[in-house]
Amino acid sequence: MAYGGVAAVRGVSFSVPPGEVVGLIGPNGAGKSTTLHAIVGLVATREGDVRLGDRSLCGRSPEAIARAGVALVPEGRRLFAELTVDENLRLGLAARGSKNGVEEDIAAVIELFPIVDEFRNRHAGALSGGQQQQLAIARALVAKPSILLLDEPSLGLAPTIVDLVFSTLRVIAERGIGVLLVEQRAQRTVALADRTHVLANGELRLTLTPDDAADTDRMVAAYLS
Amino acid sequence: MIASGLTDFVGDALDLQVQIDAIGLGAVIALMAVGIGLVFGVMRLVNFAYGQLIMAGAFALAYASDRDWPVGVGIALCFAVVLLLSLAMERVVFRPLRGQSAAVMLIATFAVAFLLQSIALLWFGPLGKTATSLVRLNRPVEIGGADIRKITIVTIVTAAICLVLLVALLNRTSIGLHMRAAAIDSQTARLLGVRANLVSTVSVLIAGALAAVVAVMLTVQFPTVTPTFALQETILVLAGVVVGGMTRLLSATLGGFFIGYVSGLLGGALPSAQSQYLPSLVFGLVILVLLIRPDGLFTRGRGLVERV
Amino acid sequence: MRTRRAAVELLGPALLVVAAGIVGALVSQTNQIYFITALISVATVVAIYVFVGNSGVLSFGHISFFAVGVWAAGVLSVPEAEKPATMPYLFDFLSSTTVGNVPSLLIAAAVGGVFAFLVGLPLMRLSGLAAGIATFAVLGITNNILRYYEKIGPGLNTFSSVPETTDLVQATVGAMLVIFAAFAYQRSRLGRQLRAAREDPAAARAVGVSIYRQRLMSFALSGFLAGFAGGLYIHFIPINIDAVYLDLTFITLAMLVIGGTTSLWGAVVGALFVSGLDSVLAEMEDGMTLLGRTIDLPSGSRIVVVSAVMALVLIVRPSGLTGGRELSLPKLRTAVAK
Repeated sequence: MAYGGVAAVRGVSFSVPPGEVVGLIGPNGAGKSTTLHAIVGLVATREGDVRLGDRSLCGRSPEAIARAGVALVPEGRRLFAELTVDENLRLGLAARGSKNGVEEDIAAVIELFPIVDEFRNRHAGALSGGQQQQLAIARALVAKPSILLLDEPSLGLAPTIVDLVFSTLRVIAERGIGVLLVEQRAQRTVALADRTHVLANGELRLTLTPDDAADTDRMVAAYLS
Repeated sequence: MIASGLTDFVGDALDLQVQIDAIGLGAVIALMAVGIGLVFGVMRLVNFAYGQLIMAGAFALAYASDRDWPVGVGIALCFAVVLLLSLAMERVVFRPLRGQSAAVMLIATFAVAFLLQSIALLWFGPLGKTATSLVRLNRPVEIGGADIRKITIVTIVTAAICLVLLVALLNRTSIGLHMRAAAIDSQTARLLGVRANLVSTVSVLIAGALAAVVAVMLTVQFPTVTPTFALQETILVLAGVVVGGMTRLLSATLGGFFIGYVSGLLGGALPSAQSQYLPSLVFGLVILVLLIRPDGLFTRGRGLVERV
Repeated sequence: MRTRRAAVELLGPALLVVAAGIVGALVSQTNQIYFITALISVATVVAIYVFVGNSGVLSFGHISFFAVGVWAAGVLSVPEAEKPATMPYLFDFLSSTTVGNVPSLLIAAAVGGVFAFLVGLPLMRLSGLAAGIATFAVLGITNNILRYYEKIGPGLNTFSSVPETTDLVQATVGAMLVIFAAFAYQRSRLGRQLRAAREDPAAARAVGVSIYRQRLMSFALSGFLAGFAGGLYIHFIPINIDAVYLDLTFITLAMLVIGGTTSLWGAVVGALFVSGLDSVLAEMEDGMTLLGRTIDLPSGSRIVVVSAVMALVLIVRPSGLTGGRELSLPKLRTAVAK
């Protein structure tokens, strides 16, 4: 993909199988967000393809991609602060394939994130950072996506909340959804994900497994090479 | 002399008839403000050509009236013409310009306004046509010692009903939720699966329907339809939307009502020699608001206006 | 190299205007009117360009400065004896003063400039949509006052009895002067600072450019030139207040947009192109024979065509016919050793 003539990301290729958590880490400006934006159709790809199953998503509008089953939890959450928690949640329904089973799915999401029910009729802006992050993920989940993308969910959150969110991601993956986690917190990500790719300067450098989480030398080498 | 002038003015202003007429004008401008505010919220585009939509509807009514068609058919024709024209505008002009600067969009709609007005001039000539079907509503009814025209009451009631229906649509339906979300943050809304094109089209259609309603109501009071029909009202609406606050539908509507009401009041209560300069007062208020409180008088704030 | 580019940038528009003047001299008396109108349009559009093109800020209000120039030049030029016919309520100092041709043009320019300066003082802080609306409001106020305030002019009456001194030569010279002024401004440090601010406001501010002050100066100059153009206009043809309101605002903006908003070349090309188109259409409205067939357009088709063209340009090629760039000669290819 290119920003104004300068290629931001080159030669990146990876896959996110259902039921797995795949991590994507790297220093600032490495192109992590760009990759996500390309997947959801906010940025044009010059070469290459984005596929869901056997369908190509390349060149389609963001809302078409969402409806195909790709859900993004954007950087900074991007909730609608003046709408209620319930309305924010129901907005997530826009990308749903079938209109059946809405209430069951909402109940399942509330099971994962009880605060959603607690604050149902409050304005989303009244929630704390951690609560907003949970709402953002819940909102993405009610769309019944095949794949869940998260852009730096741990940003600005206390460590205990990060633990909660990360462990919930594993539960989500176990329900059959593929999870792509873009993060700055390298160690936690590597420990959680089945597989973590390291992106630097727009290129895929290497791939780490949870065993590498304890190996600081390898991690430093990955970042600085 | 000033004191007696002032008491005369206040006396005239408080007159029931002047009040009700002013509220009636306020109601019309408020409906137009909803039309403009709705499209602005969703597409960030000020439709300068909104008045021409009303003009087109009015000409449709005149056309039907010329051929002695029943009132219902005339109104149906009015709606059909306005809605089709709105859709055409959205497809041909608004959508290709999405993402351009606000100034470019303003000039483009300005061009469309002139295009429509000049087509009307070509087609119907400067003297226009008359629409006489509903003229009986223009007759007065005596209430509380004042002669109030039936149309004024109909206008106020219709406006209230339209607003209530719109609020219900926005707050209780999913398309209404999608529209509200798109007005706040259209990119995120799209990421959630909200269909941008559908939301635009629905907003434009609702605005068009309101324009048709206004066309019907205005032709009763002003049966002569010329190519500059509703031009005055359009200028008032643009002023009202700016003064009230463009970014929120509620503040835009309140602004529209406020400007309409005040214009009606001043127009009715001021002696005609001074009411000549009424437009300057309205325009002056617009400039003042843009300079001092650019988000509008009836909002609490997020900025839309960039300043240096 | 740089002086050659500057020369082309100026000569392009200037020669085009001179060419228009020469062709105008060769045609019949009746057709000359079209050429004079076209040249005054050039002056007007270039005046608007001086602000809109350099600052990137839209202004709907420039015809108010034009109108004020019309009023100033007109009121002071009507012979004293004839003033009471159309302007019976003038202030004393206005009804007893009459000036010649050139002084009236200078006064028109000065009044336009001062008015623009005063308007700009509060308004130049605004950008984008707000600026567009605020300047539109200024247009409305100016029109309202000129229409009803009969102590400063004819109000609703037609402005007649103004000596018709704007002939082809004067129109050409006038357009040239405005072009020179615009060129000198955009090449000066002031003009360059404003253009820099248009491209990248943050960077400009970082190097100390006061965007407000640059805009204000450009606005005042632009008002000065517009007032001058207005003076030329009233000495050409009698008008009434509606001739300097929305229709004129629309058509001058259309000329600028169609030609290309961000360049002097665009302003001149746009003005001449649209004037030419308008004149041809006007002829067709009167019944014209072209290639053996008579074309007789209904009256009023002109604005339909112009507004359709303008909308089309905005949708398809927003940078206008010239792409918003100045005229430049094609570069000579020289072999460069690698």
